[in-house]
Amino acid sequence: MDPLLLARLQFATTTSIHFLFVLVTLGLVTLLLYLQTAWTITRKPVYERLTRFWGTLYVINYVLGIASGILMEFQFGLNWSGLSRHVGNVFGAPLAMETLVAFFLESTFLGMWIFGWHRLHRGVHLALLWGVALTAYASAFWVMVANSWLQNPVGYEVRNGIAHLTDFSALLTNPTLGMALGHVLAAALLTGGMLMAGISSWHLIRRTPDFELFRKSLRIGLVTATVGVIFVQGFGFAQFGVVGPVQPTKYGSEAAKDAAIADWTARFGPGDYTPPVLANVGLGFMILIGLGLGLLVFLVPLLYRDWLIRLRFPLYLLLLAVPLPFVASILGWLTREVGRQPWMAYGLLPVERAVSGVDGGVMLVSFLGFSLLLGALTVANWTLIARHAARGAHDPALGRPPGAEPAGPDGDPFRDPTDHPDNSRFAPVPA
Amino acid sequence: MELFWYAVLGAFFATYLVLGGYDYGVGLLLTRADGATGRRRALNALGPFFLGNEVWLVATAGILFGAFPMLEGELLSGFYPAVATALAGVMTVTASVQLRSRAAGERGRYRWDRLITVGSVLAAFGWGAVLAGLLQGVPMDADGHVAGVTHLLTPFVAATGLTLVTLVAVHGATFLALRLPGSAAEAAGRTARRLVPVAVTTVAAATVVGLLAEPVRANAHQPAAAVLLPVLLVTALLVARAALARRRPGVAFAATATALALPVLLIATTIWPYALISTVDPAASLTVADAAASPPTLRLLGWLAAPLLPALLGFQLMSWWMFRGRIDGRAPVYW
Ligand code: HDD
Ligand code: HEM
Ligand code: HEM
Repeated sequence: MDPLLLARLQFATTTSIHFLFVLVTLGLVTLLLYLQTAWTITRKPVYERLTRFWGTLYVINYVLGIASGILMEFQFGLNWSGLSRHVGNVFGAPLAMETLVAFFLESTFLGMWIFGWHRLHRGVHLALLWGVALTAYASAFWVMVANSWLQNPVGYEVRNGIAHLTDFSALLTNPTLGMALGHVLAAALLTGGMLMAGISSWHLIRRTPDFELFRKSLRIGLVTATVGVIFVQGFGFAQFGVVGPVQPTKYGSEAAKDAAIADWTARFGPGDYTPPVLANVGLGFMILIGLGLGLLVFLVPLLYRDWLIRLRFPLYLLLLAVPLPFVASILGWLTREVGRQPWMAYGLLPVERAVSGVDGGVMLVSFLGFSLLLGALTVANWTLIARHAARGAHDPALGRPPGAEPAGPDGDPFRDPTDHPDNSRFAPVPA
Repeated sequence: MELFWYAVLGAFFATYLVLGGYDYGVGLLLTRADGATGRRRALNALGPFFLGNEVWLVATAGILFGAFPMLEGELLSGFYPAVATALAGVMTVTASVQLRSRAAGERGRYRWDRLITVGSVLAAFGWGAVLAGLLQGVPMDADGHVAGVTHLLTPFVAATGLTLVTLVAVHGATFLALRLPGSAAEAAGRTARRLVPVAVTTVAAATVVGLLAEPVRANAHQPAAAVLLPVLLVTALLVARAALARRRPGVAFAATATALALPVLLIATTIWPYALISTVDPAASLTVADAAASPPTLRLLGWLAAPLLPALLGFQLMSWWMFRGRIDGRAPVYW
């Protein structure tokens, strides 16, 4: 099979999965900052319980963010070796910054945060979460710098067919960066808020005994999602204005498009320089979802006197709307990435020169194998998130006091209640 | 400047093998742990360090891309099957360690634990194969095209992969001897001591197979390093065994950590001044200087990233200090 096609399919699959998890990470970590800060300041137990419950879901979700992220990082070299060969001098720098500035600290802090409950000073523990959140935002920033450079290469000069960095600040002021970053971060806030509101609605629909807690997270989630959707729309429409001029084959007028294609034909030879139509279909549906979710604004007044909960049907709406931001995000990325075809770096490096010189068979095995692995892990991860979300907030695993493990029969903190010493593999539990 | 970044790259990968190495070692030894309780105890001994360990790999890849873009694509795509094997292992271990205790019931956890073991084998074997590949060279032409994958099917690659598996097993057992409480530590120490001869055998076997292999001999531009460093490696393992016998797990851990860092130094110095050697076209081989990014990029990284390195290390040291010592009932249990 054609290695180019397979490499593109693999990138699309892995990145889409990565982004579904990353959206939740970025959204929930922001909400957790609020919850844990409120707990540290007010010392109200409800905030501690909220932090632990939503923190458990956050940490489970994080797992696949890492697993898929590692694959993404190596995929550049595995499948797109031409990328580093031709433009690595420029494109590599933001990715190196991302790993050193953001991921390295993010993971270190997160490990300490998870195991630091009841062990570290409250202030230190809170500072760790702030560290996790800031580095998560930093990673979104740097990866968007890298992506925006592919959308619109700037700050380089080509010598002997290789791009060299001339002006790093141009990468940071890239017109395709600002609005896209704002749009992505707003989308994450919207997604995190919707998830929180949706799960809370589910518990309220089932008349949970934990009414106060889920009432609170419903309100926080709904307000966050509403703020998120307003910014999503603002940054979203603003993107047309900035992306249009630099990517004429995406949103430009017919005249601009023809001019660009004539220019490329002169420089790179004749070829098909128009992106597949798939890109525009996604755009339409994303905007539809974005405008639809804008209706959240009308639910906010119902927070007054808990009408939202008493009327009940808004709870069903919120629950059903949970998948929408995820779908919109994938459609948005399809628009952005498919719309820049057939370029790896727009107007500079065609995709077929960027793909690795490995055999199609190798690429096929890799695509199938990794998609299967990632797919299975994704399903397992979401199942676990759903189970823990449904279980409610009476005893989340995260931040459980060391003595209060659902301890083993002899009080051994490492023994699960289901673990039988004489039957240490897994024989069914005798009644 | 290239040399500085090459050293940083090597240091990051070696540190990953040391830190990730004990994760994988513990993963391997789960099969021998004392029931579900023993497995859980071993994983919580990794506890707070686990996330900070594998991130050294992520940073290695970042530095490789940023500072050595010419090398990044050629190296990873040149050893595609080996890298993919290692990655599949790394992803499996990462996900399974963190998710296993979120599963309800013993059966579910048992399955996740099995996955941890499988992933650990793949990760250790895969990185060993990549290291062996670097010594063997790749059949890559000047356009970066690599013919097939059969160049990786050699006894030397297999022997080196296996060596890494045995090294992480010794290292993981030593880590447990250092971290577990009481009698569990004793048992881990005994396991580690029993594993040392196995590891020494695989190191010796890999060295002999390498010396017999024509391409490996041809690529050994610094033969002195190629002879001296395996000897050091074996010495480190024997020191570890002696220290374990004297109940000095700290010293033993330092020795096994050295044993895991040495392979990186061994490969890098043996093929110096090359970073990646082509077996079909000498002109396609990359020296360290060829592989490096152009000066403006290195200067930028020097200004933006290099000053951060002490801070990164500082926060990791802080994490090791905060959670030092043997695990006990006072530490939160999460994995
Ligand atoms: C919660 C998800 C979500 C929602 C509801 C929307 N978007 Fe979006 N959109 C994204 C999530 C997203 C995204 C995944 O975050 C993208 C992909 C790349 C990017 O920068 O953001 C994106 C890309 C993206 C692009 C492509 C930019 C490019 O080609 O470079 C445009 C033009 C818009 N969006 C516009 C909109 C408009 C006008 C919306 C509705 C009013 C809208 N989006 C709702
Ligand atoms: C996380 C959200 C992202 C999603 C869902 C996404 C989606 C996609 C899709 C669908 C393709 C295939 C396009 C095609 O072949 O027609 C693609 C290609 C690609 N994307 Fe992204 N992308 C994302 C982010 C990024 C970022 C941040 C970067 C760079 C740092 C990036 C770099 C690439 C590269 C190198 C390719 C392969 C070459 C190409 O087909 O143009 N992507 N992506
Ligand atoms: C296509 C290019 C991308 C690459 C190479 C990449 C790489 C990675 C890697 C290696 C990790 C794991 C880090 C760790 O071990 O802690 C990760 C996680 C993360 N990525 Fe990406 N990523 C990409 C796209 C994106 C995009 C588009 C965003 C958001 C705008 C993003 C945001 C994050 C965040 C916030 C995390 C940390 C949280 C988590 O693990 O869930 N990434 N990414």
